[in-house]
Amino acid sequence: MAINKHHAIDPDKCTACTICITACPVTAATRKFRGPKMTGPALTRLRKLVSDDDPMLDYCSNCKTCDLVCPSGVPISTLNMLAKNEYYKTHPRKSPADDMLAHSEKMGKLITSIPLASTFANLGMTIGKSVGMLGAMGISSNAKMPSYASESFISKFKKIKQTSYQRKVVFFSGCFINYNQPEVGVDMVKVYQKNKIEVAIDENFVCCGSPMVAGGYIDDARVNAAKNAKLLKAWVDKGYDIITACTSCGLMLKQEYQELFDFEGMSEYAEHMYDSVEYLAKLHDEGEFNTEFANDSTEYIYHAPCHLKVQAIGRPSMELLPLVPGIKIQEADAGCCGISGSYGFKADKNPIAMKVGAKLFGKIKDSHAELGVCECGTCRLQMENGSGVPAIHPLTVLRKAYGL
Amino acid sequence: MLKTTVVVIGGGATGVGILRDLSMRGVDALLVERDDLGYWTSSRFHGLLHSGGRYAVKDKEAAKECIEENTILRKIGKQCVEATESIFVRAPEDSEEFEAEWVKSCKECGIYAVPMSMDEAFKLEPNLSRKLLSAYRCPGAAVDGFRLLWQTVASANKYGGKAKTYTEVIGIETVNGEVAGVHVRDRWTGEEYKIACDYVISATGSFAGNVAHLAGIDVNVKPSKGTLIAFNHRICNHVVHRLHPSSDADIFVPHGSITILGTSSIDSAPDDTSSETSEVLDMMNIGKVTFENLYDYRILRVFAGTRPLYSADPNAKGRSASRGFVALDHAHDGIKHFMSVCGGKFTTYRLMAEKVCDIVCEQLGVNTACRTAEENLVDGPSDDLMNRAKAVFPSYGAELAASRLGNEKLERVIKRIESRPETKELVCECENVTLAEIEEIASEPSSHTVSDLRRRTRLGMGTCQGTFCAYRSVGAVDKDDMPWAKDTVFLFKEFLETRWKGIRPVLWGNMLRDIELTRAIYDAALNLSGVDEIK
Repeated sequence: MAINKHHAIDPDKCTACTICITACPVTAATRKFRGPKMTGPALTRLRKLVSDDDPMLDYCSNCKTCDLVCPSGVPISTLNMLAKNEYYKTHPRKSPADDMLAHSEKMGKLITSIPLASTFANLGMTIGKSVGMLGAMGISSNAKMPSYASESFISKFKKIKQTSYQRKVVFFSGCFINYNQPEVGVDMVKVYQKNKIEVAIDENFVCCGSPMVAGGYIDDARVNAAKNAKLLKAWVDKGYDIITACTSCGLMLKQEYQELFDFEGMSEYAEHMYDSVEYLAKLHDEGEFNTEFANDSTEYIYHAPCHLKVQAIGRPSMELLPLVPGIKIQEADAGCCGISGSYGFKADKNPIAMKVGAKLFGKIKDSHAELGVCECGTCRLQMENGSGVPAIHPLTVLRKAYGL
Repeated sequence: MLKTTVVVIGGGATGVGILRDLSMRGVDALLVERDDLGYWTSSRFHGLLHSGGRYAVKDKEAAKECIEENTILRKIGKQCVEATESIFVRAPEDSEEFEAEWVKSCKECGIYAVPMSMDEAFKLEPNLSRKLLSAYRCPGAAVDGFRLLWQTVASANKYGGKAKTYTEVIGIETVNGEVAGVHVRDRWTGEEYKIACDYVISATGSFAGNVAHLAGIDVNVKPSKGTLIAFNHRICNHVVHRLHPSSDADIFVPHGSITILGTSSIDSAPDDTSSETSEVLDMMNIGKVTFENLYDYRILRVFAGTRPLYSADPNAKGRSASRGFVALDHAHDGIKHFMSVCGGKFTTYRLMAEKVCDIVCEQLGVNTACRTAEENLVDGPSDDLMNRAKAVFPSYGAELAASRLGNEKLERVIKRIESRPETKELVCECENVTLAEIEEIASEPSSHTVSDLRRRTRLGMGTCQGTFCAYRSVGAVDKDDMPWAKDTVFLFKEFLETRWKGIRPVLWGNMLRDIELTRAIYDAALNLSGVDEIK
């Protein structure tokens, strides 16, 4: 493609230093992927010259570790995603699972709108797994699929009675919290209320589009981005800050939209976007974080998701959770878990995902921690699947410490 | 003693065109080149295959020649030409009357110039300045100079024509006022020897005066230096011209992975390929009219070449001197069967060769007609070969290698990878050059330096400008069966210093950061400059 400077994508900054290749978890796990420098800035120069792209670009998991380590600020993974999306305009997808995993919101909506559907859907997953149905769809039988909740977060939220406070935020729950783990959303509201924050939601929000981009459905993501960007800007104009409790949604809305799309108001609202724990850490810095905690003697091991790291907001959970009296928490510091949203669920990618996550799984097991802690929903599934140790959101730890 | 009918001096476009033409007419011919093929002017240009649009108003004859040759080269040189089309754009500072005259002239010359709305133009080329007023599509194209030269020689080879690089002519021998041969020196071994011949054609462009001087004859070439700027990416996917009378820095060519902006016009010595920062800045300021965000794009390097402008008037200068070519029969100067060819354009290289060879053949009593427009330079790869290539190359590599190598060499490279799969690894990641290609080209007798490999493969011509492929390629050629590659420190320095020459005048922004990385690797880590340890 000709490089468009009206756009935020700038591969010109790449000095070919190769640090991204040394940091890429997928390159370390498989020779099938030639690395982020090659797939991103290097091949961007050549894509106009050849009639066909290299199928190896499908192996990028969009974990964004390359973006994080790049000393030149090249949005490498976004270049990869753009190329992947171009590739799938002319190539068949590997499996029907791509569509399902990229459009998880559709599935979530369908299942949570029908009474008892979640029970059957979850049962279906289990049975499907045992009879090889998922394998036929291109979903790995090794991956632990997320189960569906019987009631969505939005439905639960409406039943929560909140105290009104001056400080107001709008919560972008995202699909995973809304359809799969609504309790995390409830934890968020309870913890925020305890910190004198009023939480609003917006039923018009749609899936942030992160799984669509990673799955090669960028046009669908654009439609969603247009809707969300407009709504988010309006909330910020009303004086609300925006909170996410899923680091992939947060990254998408705050940063990737600006790299991929060109809608008005994106940079304005992005300044008011926070990860749910980051926001509390900010409160703590301002001396307004509620630290009236009960004792918690549980041993935890914390894993920082890649999409949190690339937001460059530090490790807010590792600032706040140690404030809980009696708590024992260590950081795993073992790189990517491998799942990368929907990547590790795909049959052809699952062995790579498990290899990438092996170091983390080992760390969790060796730590003898009772619980894993992580902001990202699919990371938590992968942690549980790889180590056998259950994992929870840091907000859940805080809610418990508040005795709620 | 080496004997041939015609010695062609100069391995630029004109020389190789003549070699091919003569060989196809059955005339025994040998080309000698002091440096590598395409070392001088024939690679130091935009890489533009003119549509003729640029000359339509001022020089209709040249414009007609361009469109005819453009059409022929697209056909016979498919592997060297990227048929991008060109867009002519008029800026507010360009004359509206000229536009009208230009449209009329293009029509007269048979060059299509299809008007389009600015919205269409911006859709095709999103980076164009929004201030531009009008746009036309024309049949311009991008052409790879190095590739065209080597493939022209490959075509000549099929008919017995040969080329010797790094062979410098040091004397022209005459007997009774008629050429008898040339004395040459092998620049690598220092060996001097004679090549007996009946005819000498000097196709040495800007050096035509120097070569004629060997026979005591004056030829008035006025070399005019043009600097070109290479950008890291494609800023545009079409050639983009300013729609105004030809001037400096008004052409952008998407050349392979890069964009080339040119050029300037400064009277110079024939071997002056230097560029100053001030020239670059002047060109950038003009280029900005076409692409308003030009300063945001990363410059990879600059390079310069000299136009071999000829004028019988020794005081004629610069761009206004004729761009037509001349064939000077030195019988008029008292030496028979010695001809100097100079002037001309890359686009019309085949036609110039045809005209020269018509004269030469007549003098040699050869009646065969020119066939160079009818036959492809090299065969394109068959579907079968491409399938074999795609099975072993990364998919990008297959197509790029096919156009770089042509059919025969591609097959040899595929065989290398088939027998040793590890040779599909990339030595140059920026331009996707495999180890197998490096090994294949390095084993040819014409290879003496890593720069030679670079001109054949595009090794080191991308983003990192040799930082990562220098040590890989030197490592790849440092083998017992590669006698030219023994002095690895020399290989490193020769390669890196030619890269540095082009980077130095544009040492700011990202390129400055890049070169610091290069310095860290070669000066600090590898201590290439040989700094002694402090004891």
